[in-house]
This record gives sequence, C-alpha cells and structure tokens, in this order.
Amino acid sequence: MRFSLLLASAASLLTLAACSETRQAASGSPDGGTLVIATPTDADVLLPPLAATQLSREVCDQVFDHLAEIGDSLQTIGDAGFTPRLAQRWDWARDSLSIAFHIDPKARWHDGQPVRASDVRFTVALYKNPKLASPFTPQVANIDSASVRDSLTAVVWFHQRRPEAFYDIAYQVAILPEHLLRDIAPEKLMTSQFARHPVGTGRFRFARWDAGSRLELVADTANYRGRAHLDRVVYTITPDNNTGFTQLLSGQADLFEITTPDQLAQLKGNAKVRAFPYPSLQYAFMGFNLHDPKQPARPHPIFGDARVRRAISMALDRRGMLRNVFDTLGAIAYGPFPRSLGSADTTLRLPPFDTTHAAALLDSLGWKRGADGMRARDGHPLAFTLQVPTSSRVRMTYATLIQDQLRRLGITVDIGGMQFPEFMAHQDARDFDASLNAYSTDPSPGGYTQNWGSGGAHKGGSNSVGYSNPVFDALLDSALTSFDPARARAYAVRAYQVLADDAPAVWLYDVLTVGAISTRIHTAPLRADEWWAHLADWTIPPAERIDRDRIGLGAAKP
Amino acid sequence: MARRLLARLGQAAVVLWVVLSAVFLLIHAAPGDPFSFDAPNISPAIRAQWRAAFGYDRPLGEQYVRYLSSALHGDLGYSHSMHEPVRDALAAALPRTLLLMGVALALSFALGVWLALVEVRYAGTWRARLTHRVALFFYSLPDFWLALVMLMAFAYWLPLFPAGGIVDPVLHDYMSPGRALLDLLRHLVLPALTLTLLSAAAILRYQRSELLEVLPMDFVRTARAKGLDEHTVLRRHVLRNALLPVITLLGLAFPALLGGALFVEKVFAWPGMGYLAASAIDARDYPLVLASVVVGSCMVIIGNLAADVLYRLADPRLRRQ
Repeated sequence: MRFSLLLASAASLLTLAACSETRQAASGSPDGGTLVIATPTDADVLLPPLAATQLSREVCDQVFDHLAEIGDSLQTIGDAGFTPRLAQRWDWARDSLSIAFHIDPKARWHDGQPVRASDVRFTVALYKNPKLASPFTPQVANIDSASVRDSLTAVVWFHQRRPEAFYDIAYQVAILPEHLLRDIAPEKLMTSQFARHPVGTGRFRFARWDAGSRLELVADTANYRGRAHLDRVVYTITPDNNTGFTQLLSGQADLFEITTPDQLAQLKGNAKVRAFPYPSLQYAFMGFNLHDPKQPARPHPIFGDARVRRAISMALDRRGMLRNVFDTLGAIAYGPFPRSLGSADTTLRLPPFDTTHAAALLDSLGWKRGADGMRARDGHPLAFTLQVPTSSRVRMTYATLIQDQLRRLGITVDIGGMQFPEFMAHQDARDFDASLNAYSTDPSPGGYTQNWGSGGAHKGGSNSVGYSNPVFDALLDSALTSFDPARARAYAVRAYQVLADDAPAVWLYDVLTVGAISTRIHTAPLRADEWWAHLADWTIPPAERIDRDRIGLGAAKP
Repeated sequence: MARRLLARLGQAAVVLWVVLSAVFLLIHAAPGDPFSFDAPNISPAIRAQWRAAFGYDRPLGEQYVRYLSSALHGDLGYSHSMHEPVRDALAAALPRTLLLMGVALALSFALGVWLALVEVRYAGTWRARLTHRVALFFYSLPDFWLALVMLMAFAYWLPLFPAGGIVDPVLHDYMSPGRALLDLLRHLVLPALTLTLLSAAAILRYQRSELLEVLPMDFVRTARAKGLDEHTVLRRHVLRNALLPVITLLGLAFPALLGGALFVEKVFAWPGMGYLAASAIDARDYPLVLASVVVGSCMVIIGNLAADVLYRLADPRLRRQ
C-alpha cells in the first residue's frame, strides 16, 4: 500500500515536472537544453590556481566566481568596466593600498554553505602559498594579503599602489571554499578529490568527470546570479579531429572547438552547422636563442647578433606563409602581441620583407655565399636547427616554409621535429638554436615581464630566448605603473617597438581559432581572452530543442 | 603438470621484472617528463617545483627503488595524464577494452575460420576467389584509414551508428536498462566491426593453410570412404584437427584483449587500454606507462600459459609426452 502511494506520488511529481517543462517550452523560456562540446584534450586539475589546460580553465570559469568580472573591453587599469560578481560592491582605501569587498549575502557554495569573507582571506593566502606552486603566483605578487572586517566584508591589501591592483585580485583570483579546503595540505591539493570534484559558486555546478571520456556541468538553479540558461554542458573528449567533426555534422555534438580549413569548406551550404570563429590572446613566433646553448654565459654564435636576426626576419615572407598555411583564415602578427590585446598597435615598425636587403646585410656581416650557394663565415656555416613540436601541424608546415625561404638566402635550417615533452625539455634547458613557439598572454601587458623581460631571462624563468634589454624593461614598467590608460598604452607600444627592433623573434601569426557550432545554439558575446566567459547566457530556443535538450534537470535516472 | 606450471610462473615473474626495469629505464631516458606538457605560461620554475613534489628530481636509482617498493605494496602511483590514481585509470579503461577486444576477437576468429572453410570447400570456384580477394583487401588496409572510412560511412553519410564514444554522453544515464544496453551495443558496432574486418583476414589465411595441410591426410580419405558428405568431413574431421594451431594464434591474440587497438580506439573515441598507454607515453606519464606495461606483460604470459595448457588438453599426443 505504502509502495503504491510512493509510486503514485512519484508519478504525480514526474507528471508535474513534465507539465512544467511543457509549459516552459510553450512559454518560450530561454532556460533548458544541453550543449555538447567535442574537445580534443581532457581537463587536468579542476582547481583554479592549478588549472593548466584550456579545458580546465573553461570548466573552472563556469564553476567558480571571481570577486568582480572584467568587462568585454578587457580594461585592466583601475576598476573601470568590472562588474560585480561575488562582491556586490567594493570600496577603495584613500591610499589605494587596500580594497574592501562586500560579499553578496545571497551567494552560496554549491553545497549550500554561504560564502564568507573568510573564504576570500583563505583563497588569497592559498594562491600565495609557495607550497601550492601555483603558476599564478607572479600575477598575484602585488597582493599582500586579505583580512576579514566582518563575515561579509573582506579587505584585500596590496604591497604597492599600482594601476592593476584591482585587476590582480579580481581577474587572477577565483574564490575557493575554505570549509572544504582548509584541511587539505596545499601540496596535496593537485591530487586531491576536490580537484576532481570541485565545489564553487558559479552559475554551473560540477556534475561528473569520466577521465578521458566526458565531463558534465549542470545549471545551478539556486544561484545568487540566476541560473544558467542551459541545463547542462557536456564536454566529450574526442582525440581525433575527424571524429569530433563527424560528431558535429551528425548532430552528436553541438560545438567543435578546432576545425581545419578543409573542414570549414565542408560547412558551406550546411544549414545545421556554421563556422564559429573566436578570438584568443595567443600569438606565434619563431624565437631565437640569444645565448649559446653549450655555454649560456656567451652570446649565441649566430643569433647573438641582432643584425643577423633582422636579416632573417627580412628574408621571411610572413604574409605568403600565412596564406599558404591558413588560406584566408589566418591573421598576420603585427608585433609581439595578439591583436585582441588592448595595448596592441597595428602600426608597429617590423623588419620588412626584403630579401635583397637581407642578403646585403648578411654579406656585410661576413656571412658570404660559398661555392654551394650556402653562407659561411670563418669556416662556420650559417646553419641552425629549428625545433618544432610535431603535434602542431601548423607549426610543422611553417617550419618547412621557413626552411625553404632561408635556403634561398643561403641559410641552412634543419627542422628538429619532436614530441611536445621533448620540445619543452629543450626550452626549459635553453638547449635550442631557434624554435617555433606560441605564447598565450592575459589582458594585461604584465605578462610580458615574464615572457620577454629581464626578470624571466634567468634559467627557470619563462623568457626562454633569454632576451634582456633594460630599455624594454623600463618602458614596460612605466606602462604597468601608469594610471592613465592612454599613457599606459603609449608606454606599452614603445616597449613593443623596442622588442620588435631587437628582433629576438620573428612574429608570425595570431592564433585565431575557428570552430564549428550547431545553428540551434544561440551564443552570447565572445570575449577575447575566454570565448566561454558568457556561456551561462547561451540559449537553445525551445522550438529548436532535440531529445537531449528535453531531459530537464529534475529527471530521475532509472 | 603442477611443477611445470610453477616453473613457468617463476620464469614469468623474472620476465615481468626484466620488462618493467627495461621500460622504466627507457621511458626515463626519453626527453621530457610528466610536467613537460603544452602550457607555455607555466614557468620552468613552477614545473621544477611540481617535479620535486612527486619525486621526479631524485636520482634514477632512488626513483626505481621507490617505484618497485610502492608497486609491490599495491600502490601503482598517480597518473598525471588522467589526473587520478593509476589504479582508477586502469579500472576504468580495462573493462572498455575487454568488451571491445573480446567482441572483436570472438567475431574475427569466428569469421576467419568460417571464411577459411568456405575457401577450402569451394576451392577453385568464384566464391573462393572472391573470399580470398576480399580478405586480402581488408588485410592490406591501414587500421586508422579503415576506421575513418567506417566512421564517415556509417555515422555521417549513412547515419546508422553513433560517431564514436562508448555510450550517448547525455541520454545514456536516463535510459531504461534495456535501452542502455542497446545504446552500448550501437556504439560498439563500428569499432568492433573495424577490428574484426582487419584481423579476420589474418586468421582466415592461417586457418586456410592449416586446413589445406590436413586435407590430404589418410584419416580424411578414410572419412570420405566411409561415405560422409564433404560438409561433415570438413567440419568434423578436417577442422577439428586444423584448429590446434589456431590455439597458438589465440594465445598470441590474448594480450590484445588488454593492449587494445590504439588507432581504432582513438578514432572512435573509445578510451581503452591502447589509447591510455599511447597517451601515457606521449605525456611521459611514468606510472601509467609502467602499469600498462605490467598489464600487457601479464597478458602475454597468461596467454602463452593458457595456449600451452589448451594445447595439452586438445592434443592427446602432447598429454602422453
């Protein structure tokens, strides 16, 4: 009898849920639907300070919140453009050395616990804890600590009054739950259960991760900022590019993150799938090691001379190579920055493509052509190895084109194709002549201090080519300490010009990725640093929903 | 028999240790380590800190002793490419590969033996020639190419089956048990069929030559002289005697049950042992590489032992020896 009652109740509830779902669909509510994303690589650590792969960052950005969210213009000076997130509002101290963040009292962790100021204090301490070994440690160097004024007010303290202080705490730091993490040693967090089953405050909550297979997020219906419009986002790991594309074409997936030019050509005339170009803050270059790999204290026998580097830059037809590799989908690099960066300047003076001038320059430096047409000086051939990760088809093609173009100038290039771990090992050890590399920067020019500044040139730093110029360092520092956005940009552009003139690299292309997406998915604006930033606002109109969209969130599993 | 079995087990333990040690040295000799992955924004200093945290900065001998000691205590370590304990990664991948390879091996042996019988039974006719050529065609195809063609043909041009994955990533959990099983089988068809087509040809050719060797023997002539029809002669007398060497083939194929098929698993997004091991090597995921090798070696050893035992059970002459 009791069992029958239970069954009847369950049936009524299911009927009610179905009715509600039907009403929702009939009323044209934007809420509902499932987005399936086919992605080639799996996530790594689902903990924001340790997330390294793009998928981990995508997931962490949905599950965790920042105190404030950067605007779509990616303005990093002061708090202009930032909108409230976990902090409803904030007050600057008179000396700008601290900011009091007032936590939204409605904010809850996905386990139901309220968000408290002590979570902010704990998070800041964790990001700065050397035992955690977070890659974000340099980005939060100016943050001193956080204190608790009351349960809903956290005060973040800075070492120095700097224009990007707000950006440092709001953009770089995602707030973590103290009550779930305080008992885990920081050095154990990478392998902790939490890093596989995160609990955050975002509009999506973590649901499930089958390593190497799929990862699922579901809408947090009780979220303080309102639920995500989509019911769920499912990432399916499809290591083969053709399989991912076939999944999209057959309707098994809704979004495929990386397409090749020939795949894009197949989309013409397809009413169900369209191209999905999205910006990024990545730029690719051929970097020259400025130090002798065998004796790092000495300059590189070829690339130690800036004039040789400039000659090589002039010998390369960057636009021709771009057209060859990307057809019409490429974007030429205007300098040592991606064009989406706020401080990017498309009028920077780069060494022009001029093979006659390049040849004359090399001749004048004593690198003369021999009987075989190849150049040498004092018996040493003008030859070097270009290291390339074989996993990147684009970079391998670029390497072949570079090899061919430099051969015509009398320079021998050996292509050193290698697996990525080997490539990284050589980069870390500074054991290379030249390499084809790609950097991903964040919205602030601050990242350049690590990648191109003298501070990162030491072994163990990120400046693998070992470039060091005090003028560049000073201009970059001026850019980062200027409170006037126009002046900051002007300093940054001057710094980029110095870098371009010194030619520690040939700036090849901006990484503009084109994916493909089902036409039933209605996207929100795509932000240059993270296309997924407004994923919670994406919708699937009720009339275009399919079976997997209609499950709803309350559906019981059999 | 028991003493012989024990001796073989002792040899197996030595083989396992030698293989494990060799792979340990080889994978550590390869440039890079588990923290050399593609993330240019992570500085070498941070990578060095992570290495130190997991003991990868220690001398190789110390790492070796620590690994052996942990492994003997049942701790296979932490997988840096799967981001979970190696034990969990294996527990997830093993059943998937067992299912795929089990079905594919059963189908390919059944198909291979049956086609060999057809070829022998209809020797000299168009049927035999067609069987031979079709088998040769599939035998000569690269596995990744056939997998891609199968995927495009039956998941896109003629959308009968799903384009990869083990189950429907969204709806599977909400299906009744019957529909969930059907869903699993639908996802299994293309990868299993691809592997079957690729390996059935090899079995066919092997089995055919065995059948042809047995066919002229006296006992076959006697069977025919007794008035048995050709079908019965082939099935009862020729095939039973010609099946013995196939046991060897089965023993050799046994490791493939867990070794998986790398390209087929990759194309069909079937995260089994083959793909797991290949990804682990690419990512220099030392603990997972070593665990995969241990599993693979165990299967080789077990496969050979099983083949030996089966041989003796199947062939009375060997039992008498």
